[in-house]
Amino acid sequence: MAAPHIVNIRELSKVYQQGEIDVTALHNISLDIAASEFLTLMGPSGSGKSTLLHIIAGIDRPTSGSCRVQGIDLTQLGESDLAGWRNQNVGFVFQTFNLIPVLTAFENVELPLLLTGLSGRRRREQVNTALELVGLADRARHLPRQLSGGQEQRVAIARALVTDPGLVMADEPTGNLDSHSAQEVLGILQALSQNAGKTVIMVTHDPKAAAFGTRSIHLEKGELSRET
Amino acid sequence: MTLATFIAKNALRNKRRAALSILSVAVSLFLLVTLLVALRELTVPPEDIGAALRIVVRNKISIATPLPGRQRAIIEKIKGVEAVSPFSFFGGKYGAEENMTFAQFAMDPHLLTNIFGEAKLPMEQYRAFLADQRACVVGQITADKYKFKIGDRLPLTSSFYPNPIELKIAGIYAGSIDDRNVLFHHKFLEEAENTGGVAGTWWVKARSAEDMPRVLEAINKAFANTSSEVRAETERAFQLSFVSMWGNIKLLVNSICTVVVFTLLLVSASTMSMAIRERFRELAVLKALGFRRHELFAFILAESFGLAGLGALVGVGGAWLLYTQVSISKMTNGIFITFDPTPRIIGLALLVAAGLGIVASIAPSIAVARMSVVNGLKTLD
Ligand SMILES: Nc1ncnc2c1ncn2[C@@H]1O[C@H](COP(=O)(O)OP(=O)(O)O)[C@@H](O)[C@H]1O
Ligand SMILES: [Mg+2]
Repeated sequence: MAAPHIVNIRELSKVYQQGEIDVTALHNISLDIAASEFLTLMGPSGSGKSTLLHIIAGIDRPTSGSCRVQGIDLTQLGESDLAGWRNQNVGFVFQTFNLIPVLTAFENVELPLLLTGLSGRRRREQVNTALELVGLADRARHLPRQLSGGQEQRVAIARALVTDPGLVMADEPTGNLDSHSAQEVLGILQALSQNAGKTVIMVTHDPKAAAFGTRSIHLEKGELSRET
Repeated sequence: MTLATFIAKNALRNKRRAALSILSVAVSLFLLVTLLVALRELTVPPEDIGAALRIVVRNKISIATPLPGRQRAIIEKIKGVEAVSPFSFFGGKYGAEENMTFAQFAMDPHLLTNIFGEAKLPMEQYRAFLADQRACVVGQITADKYKFKIGDRLPLTSSFYPNPIELKIAGIYAGSIDDRNVLFHHKFLEEAENTGGVAGTWWVKARSAEDMPRVLEAINKAFANTSSEVRAETERAFQLSFVSMWGNIKLLVNSICTVVVFTLLLVSASTMSMAIRERFRELAVLKALGFRRHELFAFILAESFGLAGLGALVGVGGAWLLYTQVSISKMTNGIFITFDPTPRIIGLALLVAAGLGIVASIAPSIAVARMSVVNGLKTLD
């Protein structure tokens, strides 16, 4: 039985203009993603993986075509609405962690909640829950530079989870990690889709990492090439 | 964590730069307040309480042209006039000094308490002053500076009266707006220098403020078409006529102030731009997390305002404390009698600080508004 689709992409293209030349990053992509799927996006460098991820996450806009997430057409949302939508519906994990260096692990995770109007107590509860989920409750007071790369990435995952979004996006989350830390991070992402019902979309180069997912699609020069 | 702590942590992340920018704002604002106060002191001379009732009469030709002694009796008869004293600048150098460091005026000692009532001295000193034609009274500041005591001799050599004179200090006064001058008997000046009774100026005290306009007019009229026409004006107008000579200085000080403010703007704006550029990627991350443009503007503005505000607190607050708590007349050796950081000047400096905060945040705000999340994320740390 097929789960309901959370993401519907239709004839989506993205063209970057670089001076005189047009660079086609995505060409005519159509794709559906089911709820609580763990989808991995693979393909060579420059094939458009990040671009696709950014468009689904609402931090970039397509040149043509549509991208509907939970029934909402992101291309129709204004700048401010889109920001609000991101805050509530998407958690994003970057390759380079992107934690704020002057904030503790706890404060980094709390950051997205500052936009929600939750009480201080509720925020603390949610941050602690997210940190426990990634196994870093005891590192709450540490600054990013006092953490290992793997721990930093787990804090970043906690930050992505803290608003309890339906979608978790990760762009090469293990690209800067040793294999042990990578296993931990991938395990957490897998658990999110299997146990917490999150839809996880992850870009990766690494076939071993892709093996954690439930489905894998390949991009080549901006086009879907095959699915495994 | 609240938004305020987040902003504070961001602003203070580069502690050395934050300290330097606060310090540069502080020093510049301190300088600005100092210049503005100095300018004000130079162009608006301080006033005695009694100044409202005092009129200065001088020769219409120039301040250096003396007035004939017969004018005194004529002025005294004008309705609304309470007292008239000759007041002549002696322009003497003390002892072997190269320059004149305090002014000496010959006047009618009997009118000291009436016309120049602000100058206070013990009764027995005043009596001694009246009793001896060679006696003088010295202002507290000058007396302190030279450690003068009652009974000391005061040899003075004038650059325009032929004969050197020697005065005897009978008293030390204080409480006038400028406690530096030496006052002595006009009679003594007349005899020592054979002046024939002329006076440099007449200082007139009116009975009441209401009498002032009429008295001024009457004095001017009384000597119209005589060989010595006069100009009577209020003490304040008289003082300001000296001050108009400061016009160029005023222009200079104003230009310096403008340069200070402008430089300050450039420095703050570039510091703020640097602080934000360094964090471009983080701001992109914040955008990705759902922070909106106006929230990021608010962060930038708050940080910029905070730094300017702290600078203002240190610089303007420091200037205010210094100039209200410390005797500037002592510190500047009497060049400035008062040095009053008025609410207007403090307000102006704070306004400059606020403007600084706003202007410095404009460029970074525009840059952040233009930044797309994707491009911002690509910026290298
Ligand atoms: N801001 C941009 N301006 C111009 N070209 C871009 C921009 N971002 C990406 N591209 C181009 O789009 C293509 C796809 O990029 P990307 O999605 O980052 O690839 P991947 O993540 O698969 O390595 C590449 O050819 C890249 O050069
Ligand atoms: Mg990429």
